[in-house]
Amino acid sequence: MAVNINKILILFSVVFFSVTIFAGEVFPPGGEHEGKNVEQPIEFPHNIHVKDNKINCMYCHTYARRSKVAGIPPTSKCMGCHKIIATDKPRIQKLTEYWEKKQSPKWKKVHDVPDFVHFTHERHLKKFVFDRDFPVENVKEVCAFCHGDVENMTVAHKVKPLNMGWCKSCHEANGGPGDCWKCHK
Amino acid sequence: MSGTINRRSFLKMMGWGGVGTALSGCDVPTTVTLEEGKEEVVSYLMPEEYVIPGIGVWYASVCTQCAANCGTHGRVREGRVLKLEGNPDSSINNSKICMMGQAGVQGHYNPDRITSPMLRKNGNLVSASWDEAMAAIAQKVTTSSGDKTAWFTGTLSGHQLALLNNHLEAIGSTKHYSHEVINTTVSQAVNTDMFGEAMPRYRIDKAKLILSFGADFLGAWMSPVHFAGEYAKFRTQKQRGMLVQVEPKMTLTGGNADLWIPSRPGTEGLIALGIANSLTTENGVDASKLPESVQALIQQNTVESVAKSTGVSAERIKKIASLLKQKSPSLVIAGSPVEGQSNGYNAVAAIMMLNHLLGNVGQTVESSGEFPYEQLKSKQGNTKDLLAFVEDAKAKNLDAVFFYASNPAYTAPDALDINAALKNIPLKVAITQFPDETTLQADVVLPASSFLEDWGTHIAAYQPEQQVLGMQQPLMEKINKDTKGFGDILLGLLQQVKKDEYGQYADYYAYLRHAFASMPSELKGGATTEDQAWNKALQKGVVSISSDNKSLNDEVAEFALPTPADAGSGQYYLMPSPRLGLWDGRHANLPWLQEAPDQISKVVWDSWAEIHPSTAAKLGIESGNIIKVKSDNGEVALKAILIRGIHPDVISIPLGQGHTEYGRYAKGLGINPLKIVSPSIEAKTGEMAMFATRVSISKTDMKDVIVKLGSSDTQMGRKFVVTVPVEQVKRTEGA
Repeated sequence: MAVNINKILILFSVVFFSVTIFAGEVFPPGGEHEGKNVEQPIEFPHNIHVKDNKINCMYCHTYARRSKVAGIPPTSKCMGCHKIIATDKPRIQKLTEYWEKKQSPKWKKVHDVPDFVHFTHERHLKKFVFDRDFPVENVKEVCAFCHGDVENMTVAHKVKPLNMGWCKSCHEANGGPGDCWKCHK
Repeated sequence: MSGTINRRSFLKMMGWGGVGTALSGCDVPTTVTLEEGKEEVVSYLMPEEYVIPGIGVWYASVCTQCAANCGTHGRVREGRVLKLEGNPDSSINNSKICMMGQAGVQGHYNPDRITSPMLRKNGNLVSASWDEAMAAIAQKVTTSSGDKTAWFTGTLSGHQLALLNNHLEAIGSTKHYSHEVINTTVSQAVNTDMFGEAMPRYRIDKAKLILSFGADFLGAWMSPVHFAGEYAKFRTQKQRGMLVQVEPKMTLTGGNADLWIPSRPGTEGLIALGIANSLTTENGVDASKLPESVQALIQQNTVESVAKSTGVSAERIKKIASLLKQKSPSLVIAGSPVEGQSNGYNAVAAIMMLNHLLGNVGQTVESSGEFPYEQLKSKQGNTKDLLAFVEDAKAKNLDAVFFYASNPAYTAPDALDINAALKNIPLKVAITQFPDETTLQADVVLPASSFLEDWGTHIAAYQPEQQVLGMQQPLMEKINKDTKGFGDILLGLLQQVKKDEYGQYADYYAYLRHAFASMPSELKGGATTEDQAWNKALQKGVVSISSDNKSLNDEVAEFALPTPADAGSGQYYLMPSPRLGLWDGRHANLPWLQEAPDQISKVVWDSWAEIHPSTAAKLGIESGNIIKVKSDNGEVALKAILIRGIHPDVISIPLGQGHTEYGRYAKGLGINPLKIVSPSIEAKTGEMAMFATRVSISKTDMKDVIVKLGSSDTQMGRKFVVTVPVEQVKRTEGA
C-alpha cells in the first residue's frame, strides 16, 4: 500500500514538474495555405512599417489586446504620421485624398473565420504574450502563428489555413480549451 | 443548384459526382464568404475614444413594445444595437425583459420599414419629401381646425403626450381617441369605485394565495415582467404561494396554477359571489362592513345556486373559500375575459369586493401614490374611443386625423365597418414604421423612427414600486435617414401652428432638454450642473419620482348582480385570446415572436381554434379539421386544435394573425378573430365587450397540418415526470 502511495506521489510530482518546466513553451501551429494576392484600395506595405521602421503590430492593430478583433487602424491613426511622413509618395497621396473626403478606404478582408466561430485576439495574446511575460516588442512572432511572416509582405496574404482542424491541432498542442462551446457559442 | 432538384435526385447526383458536382452550380453569395478579398472591412475614420471594435457598450433606454414601459439596456457594438436586456435600475422590470422586448431589435431592423414620406396621388401612395408631406398637412390643419381634427393613438405618456395635447390645444381640438384592444379599463373603473384608485399596486409577492379570474399576469396583463418577478417570490416563500385560476381558456398564468377551473364566460362574477357566500356562512368571515345591497347579493347567491347556474361544483367553490380563509393575506384579481362581457363592471366589482371581505386592502392591494405631474401621466387606450371614432367618422365630423401607434383598420370588428368610416375622413395622416392596414389607407404617411432610434420620456400606467419616469434615448443612428422621431414630428406639426412658441427648438432633443431643465431639482439626484443631471438621467434610464403617500378607500362600492348576457346567437362563446408575443397583432411582423410557440397550444406561425375534446367529439371534429366559426357579424375558417384547458362551451382563437397588410412576415398569415366580434357594450363603462360574442361551429371536410412544437400533450407512458400519490408518500415517507 505504502509503495502505491509513493508511486502516486512520484507520478504527481513528475507531472507537476513537467508542467512547471514547459509552461513557458509554446508550439506554433503548422500547416500552410496558399493565399491569393488580394488587391487592396491602397497597396499597404507591411514590410516598410514592420521591418524597416520597426513599428509594433499592436501600435496600429491596437484593439488586438483588448477585443476579439484586432481592428484595422482608424484612418486618423494613419494620418497621425502621414501628415508629415512620406507625403510625396503616391500611396500616401491616395490616403490623404480619402482623409480629405472624410472616408476610410474599403479594405478587402484577408483573414476571416465563419460567423459561427467565436475567435478572440484578446485571449490568444493573453496566453501567448502577457501570461508568458513574452517581450511585447517581439509580438510579431506571436502574430505570425496565424498571420505568417507579415513583416515581409506588402499587403497581407493568407498563409495559414485558419480552419477548424488547424485551430484544434494548436489547441491540443498548447493546452487550449477543447470544449465545442468555447468557439461555437 | 436549380430550384427543381428534389432530395432524391440530389442524393443520386452526390453519388455520381461527389461533393464537387453537387456544389458546382451553387450561387455562393459574394458578401458572406471566407474567401480572401471578397468581403470589405472598413475602419473608423476617427473613432470616439471609448469605442473598441468588438466590444459592446450598454446604454439605458425604455422598451415601448407594450404599455408596461420596462427599462432596457441595449448593447451597442460598432454603432449597431444588437441586444436588449432589462435595466436593473428600473423598478418596473428589475433587470428582466420579456420576449416582446427582446424582439424589439427585429422591428428596428425590419426590412418592411417605411423609409420615406408618402403622399396619395391619383389614388396611390407615392414617395414624397418631408416638405411636401408637411405642406399637405398644413393645408388642412390650421389654428382654426377645431374638433374636426383629431389624434388617434395607442397608449401614450410623457413629453410626447404633453406635446400632442399642446398640438390639440393649438388647433382648438379636444379629440384624442386612445385605443388599445388589450386594456384594463373596466377594472380601472371598478378600482376607482372600490379602492379610490384606478391602478393600485397588486403585491403578488406578499400574497399567500392568489385567486385570479382570468388575469393573465404572467402573460398579457398590465406589467407582465414585473408580475413574473413577483410571482417568483410568491412561489419561493417559505410556505409556497398557491395560485388558483378561474378562466374560460387556459392562459400562461392558468397553465402555472395549482388549481385551474374552467368557467363559462360571464359567470365569473357569480362564482365570486358564491365564494363570498361560503366565506360568510361557513368560514366565519364578517361581512357587516359591506353595503347592505352587497350583503344581500351575497346572501342570495348561495353556493348551491351558484354551482347550479355556473356549472362549477359546490365543492370547488367551498374549497376555494376555505383556502382563502386559511391563506391570508390573499389577492383576488380579474382579467380581460371577465371585463370583456356586457356585465363586466359588476362581475369585476364582485371579484374585487372579495379583497375587502378578506382584508387584503392595504396588505396585498396597496396604493401606488399620487403621481405629481398630471400632464405627463399615461393616457391609456380603450375600446370605447374606437367606437366613438368610428361614429364621428361615419357622421363626417372629422376632416383630418393623425394616427400613431395604433392600427384600427386591423383591430376594429367588421361590424363597425371602419373602412367606410375611414373613407369619410379627407386627410388621414399615418405616423408609422410599417405599411399596416391603417397606413395603407392614409393620405399622408410620415415614416417614424423605431424606438431604438428615438428620444422620449415614458410614465408607465402601472407603477409597481417607486414611481419612475423612463428616459428613452436613441441607441444608434437612424437606419433610414428619412425617418423622424415621433417627438420631432409632433414638434414639426406644432411649429406649423405655433411658430412663435415652438420655433425655438431645433429638434425634439432640444425640447426635452429644455423640459428636463425646468423639472424640480429634487428629481436630479444632487447633480450640480444641468448637463450632469441630464447625463445621469440618461445613464440610469429612469428618474425616480417621489409620490405622495395615499391610503386606499376602505368602503366597498355598491354593484348589481353580474348576470351574464350574450351577444348574438350561437351556442359557443368566442374568446379572441391575447398572449404575450403577438399581443394585439402589433408584433405579427416580428419573426422571432411568430416562431415562439403559443404558451399553451405550442403552435407556431399560424392561427387555430382551440376547442374542448368533448365539444369536438360532439361535433365530429378532429385535430387539424378546418372548421367554420360563425358569429352574427361574420365567419372565419381555420383549423381546430383539441385542448383540455378550455371550457366546453368556449372556442378560443388567438389574437394577432390575419393581417391583410403589415409586411412580408405578417401579411396573409392566419385569421383575425377580432373581425367577427359582435360589438356589444359593457353597460357601465361603454367599453366593447370583446369576449361576449356567441358563435356557432360547423365542420368542413378539409384538414390541414398543425405546425407545433411537441406533438403530444401526454408523456405517452414514458414517465418523464414521475408522480406518486400523496397517500403513498405519507405511507412510505411518514410525512
